[in-house]
Amino acid sequence: MKPITDFARQLDSNISLDEDLTVRKKNRYFLLNENLKRLASKDFFHAGICLGKEIDGVFFPSFNLLAMIADKRANKVIVDEKTEWLFICGRDVFKRGIIRVIGSMKKGSYTLILNSYSECLGFGQALSDLHEAKEGAVVNNILDIGDFLRREKSSVKTRS
Amino acid sequence: MMSGREFFISRYQELGWKYEDVELKQAIRINSMNAEKASLLKRLESRGIKLEKIPFLEDGYWVCKSEFSVGATSEYLLGLYSIQEAAAQIPATLFTGLKDKTVLDACAAPGGKTVQLADLMKNTGAIIALDIEKRRLTALSNQLERCRVENTITYNLDARQVSRLDIKFDRILLDVPCSGNFATDKDWFKRRTITDVGRNAKLQREILTRATRVLKDDGEIVYSTCSLEPEENEFNIDWAVKNLNVQVEEVRCHGEKAPTSIFGKHLKGSIKNCRRIWPGRTQGFFVCKLKKVCA
Repeated sequence: MKPITDFARQLDSNISLDEDLTVRKKNRYFLLNENLKRLASKDFFHAGICLGKEIDGVFFPSFNLLAMIADKRANKVIVDEKTEWLFICGRDVFKRGIIRVIGSMKKGSYTLILNSYSECLGFGQALSDLHEAKEGAVVNNILDIGDFLRREKSSVKTRS
Repeated sequence: MMSGREFFISRYQELGWKYEDVELKQAIRINSMNAEKASLLKRLESRGIKLEKIPFLEDGYWVCKSEFSVGATSEYLLGLYSIQEAAAQIPATLFTGLKDKTVLDACAAPGGKTVQLADLMKNTGAIIALDIEKRRLTALSNQLERCRVENTITYNLDARQVSRLDIKFDRILLDVPCSGNFATDKDWFKRRTITDVGRNAKLQREILTRATRVLKDDGEIVYSTCSLEPEENEFNIDWAVKNLNVQVEEVRCHGEKAPTSIFGKHLKGSIKNCRRIWPGRTQGFFVCKLKKVCA
């Protein structure tokens, strides 16, 4: 599944998925196992692990996919507790909140954002070379787990 | 008139419970698949969240104090725990041997119990989760993603049409649509009439009927409602035992033994194996386990 492997590559990572078990359903991608594949009929809504969705040709990863990539070699920025909180509120990552940088961190490269427990909080794009930047916002927040709350809010709005 | 506060309260009194106002405590359940219990408790404590172990649940805790919403911590958003009312945590724990089984969650959204089943199954086997409302399936998908559930297939399907899937299940959770109870809805007495109760009871019987048809011999059904009305609980189970080739199994869980004589009706003796939970430390609830008798 090219959009998924291409996305992983942007994080300087490599992910190999069993093509037989990766299913595209409308604009969403799912990873099944043999058992689920045997049981799933065509009209499922969700199955196995949702990997992400494609909108207008752009791939948006799920948090499950990000966690899968986080288990592998990839660009990673580990942040402190205060920055963790700000990041899940949608803010960018500031240089002073970074505990550790793993992998290539040139301006424009994509990176996972992890907390001090190595749990994946989302991903972003380096605004400057992380090794050289002295201060200020260094990673632009693209997606963070606070999105779960935003989804709830938007679904409440839609209902009311 | 067959509605209103006095009408329902007098029914509860007839069932042996004296009405009292209740204030529910928020509860959480640790997703043991994603979190090591001791370390998570420490993390939450360091955030100033005070928890109290729920004595009748393995992974359940009441939230005694928190400066902010427990639904907005990174631990919650990472799926390390879920917010789930205490009584609602009981049904999934009543199944035996869930690992590697094929399980139906017939009325699944918003997915608290589906996630709990996946946790108890350690993401093995398969859960088929249904809901009649597509909008609610989106909420369910979000829960599955947040809690890293990998073994579930969801369908936008009425539970009464489950046979369309052509699957036989080892275990079935029927947390059926019900009239609810006053502990979780302050306007409950104003909104509900005995006609609603009757309508829900009918729907619940239909779901029970269809579910038993797709249950394997010796398979288990856990039936639960958050209704206090016998029509949706003891009467339905008594009817199921008499008509659907199932028996009520003994369960060990929080709650009182269900009565077998209600409003002048005498029910099967095995109905006492069901559990009725009056509002107090939890919301009102009813739960029982049924086993399909081999043909």
